[in-house]
Amino acid sequence: MVRIDFNRLRFLVIDDNAHMRRIMRTLLHGFGARDVYEAEDGAAGLDAFTHHVPDIVLTDWAMPIFDGLELTQMIRQPNANSNPFVPIIMVTGHTEKERVTAARDAGVTEFLAKPISAKALYQRIVNVVANPRPFIKTKTYFGPCRRRSNSTTYSGPERRKGGKADVIRQPALLDKAKMLG
Amino acid sequence: MASARPAKPDVMTFGDHEVITPDTSKLRKTLRAAQAGEPDPVAAAEEALAQISGDFNNWMQDELGRLDAARHRVRQAGLSKETRQELFLAAHDVKGDCGTLGYPEAAPAADSLCRLLEHTPDLRRIPLPIVDQHVDAVRAIVREHDRPDIGSIAAALTSKLRSVTDEFLMQENQDRPDVLKQIQSPSLAPGASF
Repeated sequence: MVRIDFNRLRFLVIDDNAHMRRIMRTLLHGFGARDVYEAEDGAAGLDAFTHHVPDIVLTDWAMPIFDGLELTQMIRQPNANSNPFVPIIMVTGHTEKERVTAARDAGVTEFLAKPISAKALYQRIVNVVANPRPFIKTKTYFGPCRRRSNSTTYSGPERRKGGKADVIRQPALLDKAKMLG
Repeated sequence: MASARPAKPDVMTFGDHEVITPDTSKLRKTLRAAQAGEPDPVAAAEEALAQISGDFNNWMQDELGRLDAARHRVRQAGLSKETRQELFLAAHDVKGDCGTLGYPEAAPAADSLCRLLEHTPDLRRIPLPIVDQHVDAVRAIVREHDRPDIGSIAAALTSKLRSVTDEFLMQENQDRPDVLKQIQSPSLAPGASF
């Protein structure tokens, strides 16, 4: 079974709800994290992202000024900021399929539907640490590879052109991470 | 103090896309094998959450206060883009947070209000009594939370509200097949991921 040294990771929690920020902070400290920064909206979140350079971003979706989806799109700008590859976990009350797809297509790394639990949050964090995915850059997308598995039975059109790179193997650490579940 | 900058990523360029492998060494270095007798981090986090759970009732009352205030602004000023957003955010927070705060029975009523506000193309057509009924239902479910039959009461209340709301939304969106499809698609289970 693997563990994460949370005290070596820096987290940024972005949520307009102070109570939810407190809950997230409490859970992260409970896991062992020390560096947990907070922001109360997307604009403050982007500022904090630039200033604190977190290792993992946890963001709400529905927020004033600009929301978590817009924030993700701003972070996922290649060459525009210090770390466009930062893992982004969207923690949200939005639970509709279209929302999940939109979050994925904006470049979110993991999606966690509220209400949150310690176990579900821990699993998402383990996944982004133990199972980092390569990034894909096309004319219309920049973000983590959206192919989570290599299906041998897929029969649809191949949308990527270029041969060998169409097969992207997942790191073996994923298996270790799954053991935590 | 900022973290050290990561190394330059490896990039493979293909016909219409690039595959970029970022430097994840810092993340990977935090992984290690569990030691014998080491406390479970999830249990530790749950314990930490339990220690602040005495505040949850007050926090829930704060959320209800926001929802009620947003409802009153709608009553005073009507449903505009601004008042809709305020009410939506308040209902959305209740929907997302009430389960963590110990009032999961209130989530479906808050969700129904979110759907009403999100999927009605012309805000002026939303009957304000339906808004009131949703807000009152959420408040009542939280207020009566200690009743042993709160689950069935909340379910009955929410079922009726959801039925009325869905009927209204189907009518209002009859010329918007994409929205109709969205309205009819099931929600994810709580805690779900991609």
